[in-house]
Amino acid sequence: MKNKQPFITIEQSMKAIKFLIGYIGLTMIVSCSTDDLETVPFENPEVELSIPANFPALNDAFFSNVPTQYGVALGEQIFFDKRLSTDNTISCASCHIQENAFADNNIQAIGVEGRVGIRNVPPIQNLAFMQFYNWDGSKLKLENQPLVPIITHEEMDSSILEVMGKLEADSEYPEMFRKAFGDSEITPDRIYNSIAQYEYTLISSNSIYDQVMKNEGVDFTESEAHGYQIFQQKCASCHSTELFTDQSFRNIGFPINTDSNEAGRARVTGDLEDSMSFRVPSLRNVEYTAPYGSFGQFATLKDVLDYFDNGVLYSDNLDEIFKNNGNRIPLTELEKENLILFMKTLSDLTFISK
Amino acid sequence: MKNFKNILLVFTLSIAILSCSNDDEDPVANDVTLTFNNTFGDETIVLGGAASASATENTSTEGQAHHFSEVKYVISNIRLVQIDGTEIPYNINDLDNGATVINLSNPSSLDYVLSEIPTGEYNQIKFGLGVKSSLNTLDQVSFPDFYALAGANDTEMHWEWGTGYRFTKIEGFYDTDDKTLSVHTGSTVEGTIDDESTYTQGVDAYREITLDLPTNAMVGNSAPIISIKADFDMLLSGATNTIILGEGNATPSIHTAANMVLFVDNLGGNGSTDTTGMFSIESVTN
Repeated sequence: MKNKQPFITIEQSMKAIKFLIGYIGLTMIVSCSTDDLETVPFENPEVELSIPANFPALNDAFFSNVPTQYGVALGEQIFFDKRLSTDNTISCASCHIQENAFADNNIQAIGVEGRVGIRNVPPIQNLAFMQFYNWDGSKLKLENQPLVPIITHEEMDSSILEVMGKLEADSEYPEMFRKAFGDSEITPDRIYNSIAQYEYTLISSNSIYDQVMKNEGVDFTESEAHGYQIFQQKCASCHSTELFTDQSFRNIGFPINTDSNEAGRARVTGDLEDSMSFRVPSLRNVEYTAPYGSFGQFATLKDVLDYFDNGVLYSDNLDEIFKNNGNRIPLTELEKENLILFMKTLSDLTFISK
Repeated sequence: MKNFKNILLVFTLSIAILSCSNDDEDPVANDVTLTFNNTFGDETIVLGGAASASATENTSTEGQAHHFSEVKYVISNIRLVQIDGTEIPYNINDLDNGATVINLSNPSSLDYVLSEIPTGEYNQIKFGLGVKSSLNTLDQVSFPDFYALAGANDTEMHWEWGTGYRFTKIEGFYDTDDKTLSVHTGSTVEGTIDDESTYTQGVDAYREITLDLPTNAMVGNSAPIISIKADFDMLLSGATNTIILGEGNATPSIHTAANMVLFVDNLGGNGSTDTTGMFSIESVTN
């Protein structure tokens, strides 16, 4: 027989109280763990990069700093942030302008207070596939590069602590760092890594040339095809691979930068054989990156080709290819014209416009 | 109250006795001061501009006259060696507390005080000219003081493009027509920190110096002063290289590390047969 009880017993109420205490305790624990959860990075997927199959291998550093959604977003924000410079006037993007394939049209780089650097601004494209950075290859990992412009007198003239202070005081950055790296701490490495992640995503592989090679229903014009033929005969030994550079360092007898700090690759290696040698530049988007040469010696591509045709400066370490060909690359006017038309097929409109 | 006075008396006496016994023993540690005398031969260098009459003039073994307007160098990784061979490292991985910039135009920089050196008898000192590669990263977060000391406007010992420190910076003039002389040294190695096998390119301009002390430094009741001579006559007329200055090497284009290494080997030794470079011990004062 069931003994219906309209009122709960003391024992039962004690149980209820215990349960309640237990419940509150559990709730507190859950609350605590919820708090913890908030500092755990929420989903930050790796960015799917469409890496062209025929491009050279990725730099190993890429695999230690694979671009993520929020890492790239943070890096892009920093890339365009003028507070990286001491007087808040210059960002990375001030010199690395997208419509110029992330180079600019100045002869030499211009930093804070109009200070002029010793070299031409290099484009930022396909850096994930490069094994050396800068004209002289002084850096081997992209992550090691951002500090250089930040502290260089002729560039941003700031310091990493100064930059960190500005970012920490910003209302958005701590949250962006948290999304990218799991907590809101702003560290030098996180700044460098996020910038590199953003730069890794800057891949140019959708030019007319690419479309022709992939048989996407586009063909070279007759002149471009002739230019490509000349290119393969007279240029491709250095401007090789799908990056149009073999990433070697060569002295090709260009007019010499008399700035006493300039020695080309030799200032890195200490090898006189590398004197005034520079990395073979990629020709992708070359249409947008005038002037040309390590300190902007040539205003146009035609000027460069005329110079090759007329003969370059001799030196003991002049590249063998030039030495073996009378210090020049002979070119007819038609060949030059068509070479330039071919080089313009390396322009990637989707890359230079958002 | 009487009790309290007694207690106070006992307490005071105890302190006094303890203090006395401390006085009787050697302290566990004391300072060692390194003082740098920068010379041409035996003559302490006086800096001066191009036409300076007071600047100390030197002549190289190849007969080139030269004098300096600016001389700076970094000393780090200091170790004192006891007579039994025990090495006492002095904040060797802490540039803020274990490295300094010797700057001839700043007299107070010529003395560097090593504090809390363990009591003992020392017969050798080792130090680095420059900064070893594992610390040579312009890490402002870890070593803000040294970063500031090196980078100050009157010092300019940051080597921005190499993201390292300048190890030596010498400005001056040579030949009778006072052409510009400018010697900057620093490392350009690139690779993974602390893993020399990954240093695939670049020049390591850091040099280890080892100097025997002519008189043992007795650290304890005395705080010895070790006077170190840096003989800049060796810049052009060193143990390793005899250098003639000219257009190809006198200006900062000696950043073209090839020429730079010749100067580095003269100033800091070549790392094998010469581990003293321009340095020698003048005296030890206990």
